[in-house]
Amino acid sequence: MAVSAKISPWVALTGAALALPAFSAAPPDQMQIGVKTTAYRESDQAKGTVLVGSEQRYDINVNQFYLITPVGRNWSFAVDVSREAMSGASPWGTLSAIGADSQLVMSGATIEEARNELSLGVTRYSEQSSVAVSLTGSKENDYEAKALAVNAEWDFNNKLSTLAVGLSYSSDELAPTDALMFGRISSETKNSRSVSVGWTQVLGRSSVLQSGMSITDHRGYLSDPYKLRDIRPSERLQTVVNFRYRHFIESVNSSLHLDYRFYHDDFGIRSHTLRSAWYQNLTEQFQLIPGIRYYSQNQADFYVAGDDYSLADTVFQSSDYRLSGFGALTFGLQGRFSRRDWSVSVNFERYLSSASYGLDASARQHPGLLRFNLLSLGFDIKL
Amino acid sequence: MGCPCEVRLLADSTEMAQQTAQACTSEAQRFERKYSRYLDASVTSSINRSAGLSVTPIDPETYGLLQYAGVCSEQSNGLFDITSGVLRQVWYKNRQTLPEQQALDQITRLIGWHKVILTENDVFLPERGMEIDFGGVVKEYAADAIAMQIKASGISSGLVSLGGDIVAFGSTSDNAPWPVGIVHPTEKDSAIATIYLQDRALATSGGYERYFDIQGKRYSHLINPHTGWPVDSLLSVSVSADQAIVAGSVSSIGLLFERHAALEWLAHSGFAYLAVDQDLNCYGTLAD
Repeated sequence: MAVSAKISPWVALTGAALALPAFSAAPPDQMQIGVKTTAYRESDQAKGTVLVGSEQRYDINVNQFYLITPVGRNWSFAVDVSREAMSGASPWGTLSAIGADSQLVMSGATIEEARNELSLGVTRYSEQSSVAVSLTGSKENDYEAKALAVNAEWDFNNKLSTLAVGLSYSSDELAPTDALMFGRISSETKNSRSVSVGWTQVLGRSSVLQSGMSITDHRGYLSDPYKLRDIRPSERLQTVVNFRYRHFIESVNSSLHLDYRFYHDDFGIRSHTLRSAWYQNLTEQFQLIPGIRYYSQNQADFYVAGDDYSLADTVFQSSDYRLSGFGALTFGLQGRFSRRDWSVSVNFERYLSSASYGLDASARQHPGLLRFNLLSLGFDIKL
Repeated sequence: MGCPCEVRLLADSTEMAQQTAQACTSEAQRFERKYSRYLDASVTSSINRSAGLSVTPIDPETYGLLQYAGVCSEQSNGLFDITSGVLRQVWYKNRQTLPEQQALDQITRLIGWHKVILTENDVFLPERGMEIDFGGVVKEYAADAIAMQIKASGISSGLVSLGGDIVAFGSTSDNAPWPVGIVHPTEKDSAIATIYLQDRALATSGGYERYFDIQGKRYSHLINPHTGWPVDSLLSVSVSADQAIVAGSVSSIGLLFERHAALEWLAHSGFAYLAVDQDLNCYGTLAD
């Protein structure tokens, strides 16, 4: 059979071995819990970019906890809890003058909010497949969301290939604070539906390629109610295609991760993300992971550099910096220390964004483009 | 199993260690009862007795092992062949003279994995006298199954050694990978290299013990199933892989190829290996 002669011995033998009963998919065999705390600090606005309001942006502290435990022979249960405390200021609008750069109209540095999220998941494992169902709910003073997701995986080619399919539905309710005072909408809803497909392929002894595609449809109130003038369509269709490649290099005891993601939506935004990380095992217990991420997007169809009050309020427009054309670079460094049953990790990231980093040469710099630093500390233990 | 077996566990209590050790012994005995060609009631004997007569129903485990043996046969150009056990009838232990070509031709007629008829539910050896021997795959698979059984009982560190085929997972009490010595092919009780295993298996084939000494010349105990004659093989091959069954068959295949072809095959196989030739030269990436 000519075809089998081309398959490497490693692929053929490992594949055939994994089909044997002793190696069938097993649920986690021990309970594991973890905690993580993250400090996220957006840099202050540069001088001259703020027309009125605070020059400070957001500070966010996040505390997370998770637990995953086997239940019987074929099931596992997981709980994830997250609490975020945000304070600071955010852009309300952008004003652009002829012959001058746009400037931000910022809120006062008085926003104080907390967001709590709880997620519960159950997975059932069979010999060649698994199915997971999860329910998530989150709540903050002005926003409530509920979501249901189902994910299934099947192993093929003696576990060298895996097909994953996912479906999810979420329903959100938005009731902006100080609605009457600022003439904001009092309450709106939004719902989202998503389907995803993924294929993971073991390419050889040291490499794996994961590819996936997802389509998400949002309907409802999609505008930002805190902006002075932000009118967006009531439907948004998003498509994402991604690839993740992992390659282990035995001679230097390290692993290269390379990810690419393409995003497209019907707001007119297309973006590319390229991420690379190098997992270096320095000793049996200590791992250092430097990483770099590049992002570029073009602006949305209805993006405006400055809010235009002369347009009717049925015409789509938004000066939100997140819909402008820009590029971003993230530099990260993580250190991980692992023992048999527990591990500690520290992660630092610095994010810089600018219109000039993006691939779209015609993009004009939005004054609200962010810079931030992030530091997080995590701890996991098996019980 | 016909070989020395050892299990080392790091457990939270002596009681747990003893219970698990007992479970390991039971599992090893289960494989022995099921696949030993010396026991009349074994699956092996039942398949061989029906050669040329009728199909034998098989369970998923047996089907998996036969399938796996088939892939080994494909990957080794037919040199690894679990129907080649009949060669023992001509190349018996302590043979003093070379066999006649005619005797070899009669025996090789009964060899050939491609002749075996295998479906998910049964197996059939079409000619009377054909035999299957699981010896080349089941000992290593037993090591994997026993290691999985230890992990399933909640113990996260252990070492399983069945006649020189080793599965190691977790870390030693000093939090280091398990140090494992590869037996020197000609010097008993000494190691030619020490390998550190963590969640890996190591298997070694060959060595000083088994060969034919005929009229002053030494012949390998490994016979080429196509020709019926001994292979001009390497002295020993050790392979590291994620599964013992894979490490074991790759090391066996390394000894069934003629020595230059073997080194070439091992180098391109995708596995870490240590090969020692008859002049005690070492090749391979395993022990640098």
